Order: sequence, then structure tokens, then C-alpha cells
Amino acid sequence: MRFQPGQIAAFREGALASAPLLVGMVPWGVVAGVAMVAAGLTQAQAVAMSVIVFAGSAQLAVLPLFIVEAPIAVMLATTLVVNLRYVIYSAVLAPHFQHLSRPWRGLLSYITVDGVFALFAGRFPPGDQNPHKHWYFLGGSLLMWSGWQASTCVGVFAGGLIPKGWSLEFASTLGLIALVMPLIHDRAVVWGALAAGGVALLAVRLPFNLGLLAAIAAGIAVGLAAARLAPRKETGKE
Amino acid sequence: MAGDPSLGWVLIAGMGLAAFCARAIFVLPGSRLRLPPAAERLLRHAPAAALMAIIVPDLALVQGAWAISIDNPRLVAGLAAFAIAAATRSILLTIAGGMLALTLVRVLAG
Repeated sequence: MRFQPGQIAAFREGALASAPLLVGMVPWGVVAGVAMVAAGLTQAQAVAMSVIVFAGSAQLAVLPLFIVEAPIAVMLATTLVVNLRYVIYSAVLAPHFQHLSRPWRGLLSYITVDGVFALFAGRFPPGDQNPHKHWYFLGGSLLMWSGWQASTCVGVFAGGLIPKGWSLEFASTLGLIALVMPLIHDRAVVWGALAAGGVALLAVRLPFNLGLLAAIAAGIAVGLAAARLAPRKETGKE
Repeated sequence: MAGDPSLGWVLIAGMGLAAFCARAIFVLPGSRLRLPPAAERLLRHAPAAALMAIIVPDLALVQGAWAISIDNPRLVAGLAAFAIAAATRSILLTIAGGMLALTLVRVLAG
């Protein structure tokens, strides 16, 4: 099969639009690579995790839990919760990709990342009839995928050379701090995040899994309540 | 550190499945479903809550006990990292500044 010019043009447009996102992603990938090895994964496991999971925030979030040998169910629950934003993306993307074959839809699901989703949603409003828009999505996403794999590999192999005494595993927690900051832009989410942190501390006497899950539930509840008490502040951002 | 390497592989496979399911839930079945607004609001609050529930104990607990004091290098470095992240929004500066703070506090303490 030959590619049509429209497909190639859309692919290139998506890749070019996404290229600036690499600036933010590459250092992040290197840190994730270093942190995975510092947490005790083998180099092969760290590379496999980047390829199979392909979700930077979930990869970093699981590491502090892996170090303290949390139950595997807790680590998987954490992955799911941190990735819940993808459920929203999936709902937005589904009508755009509905006409494609199942392998295409599987590929585009696997390769979804925040930045390309945001660009795509801005470029193609709901109901857009452009027949090549999935090539735009693929172009941007493949570029980000390649950048992520290359940069985590650098971190994985550089990480093995760094002495343990430097406490580099702490970099994953610092990375989470950098990641949570843009998420807590509105007041309701701040209250929710503070409640989650507080409950996580108070619940330290509970078995570890219960404490973490209770903290997340409390954070969501407080965040929703705060949004309800001050609805104008939240919608005023639009 | 996990002693058993097979645990890492189980974790990776499970996380891969969880990450794929979250992304594919509407796209793969070719669904026309729309999320109800209440569900969307709930999903928006979850990631920040989860991240904070991981970050705070990692900073403020030492071997499972509260260590909320200026003598806890991770807590001091973490608070510095929050300040840097708020001011610069830079991942690189946040991590570099946090590691620097950790090292400084350890050197000064002992």
C-alpha cells in the first residue's frame, strides 16, 4: 500500500507541532531512567517498563512504593489512579477514531500522551471531518514515543554508573513534585491535594495499602466538596 | 529494594495492562459514550490526590515514623523543591534544586 500525500502531510504536521514538547520530555525521561535503576529495577526491566507501560508519571509514582516493597495490588491501583486522566482523553478521542480498524485503534490508544492529546483536541474540534486526522495524531505520538524511549535508555545506562550514596532514588519524588505542581492550578484541587497528603500521614499506622487508598479517596472527596462550595472560582478560569 | 526480580516483571506487566486499559477504554471499543460531567469532575481530582499521597509520606516519614523537623533532610529538600516548582515550573530545576538542598542539609547536619 502507498501512502497518500494527505496522510504524509498530516503525519508531518503532527510531528512538527509536537516537536517543541520534546524539550520538556527529554530531561524527564533521563530522570525516569535513572530513578528506575536507583529504585532497584534491573536495566532490562527499566527499559521494558518504558516500552510496555509508556507512562512517565505512573512509572515515577510507583518507584517510592517499589522501594518500600508495597503490595503489588497497591502499585497497580496507583498506576490506574495516576492514569485516570487517560480515561477522559479516551472519551474525547473515541468519536474521532471510531471509523478506524481495531489494530489502528489499539495502536493509537497505546501511544496516547498528554501533550499530543492536547494539540490534537485543539486542532480537530468534535465532529471534524478531516479524513487524515489520525495520521496527525500518529505523527506527534510516534515522535514523543521515540523521544521517551531514547531518553529513558540514556538515564538507565547512565544511572548504573552513579554511586548509590548520592540518593538518586530521591529524584523520582522530586520529579513527582514537579509533576503535581501544574495539576494543582485551581483552589479546589489544592484543597484536595493537601487533604490527600494529610490523610496519608495520619493513616501511617494503617497497613500501608489502606493508608494510600484512603488518602486518595479523601483527596478526591475534599476536592469535589471544595469545588462545589466555590463553583464560580473554578469555572471563572475558562 | 525488591529481592525477587520476578516481582519487577509482574509489576511491569500489570502496569502495562493498567495503563493500556485507561487509554483504550473508549477508543478501542469504538464507543460513542460520553462521560457524565460528575465522572469527569471526579477523574480530574484523582491524579493530584494520588501524587500527593505518595509524595508527602516519602518526605515526612523516616522508617515509618513521623519526622516533621528541620533535621529531616528529605523534608527540607522536598519543601525547597515545592518552592522551586511553584516559582519556575521547570522539571529540571526542581530536581536539581531538590538534590542540591538534600546534599546541603546532609553536609550541614553532619
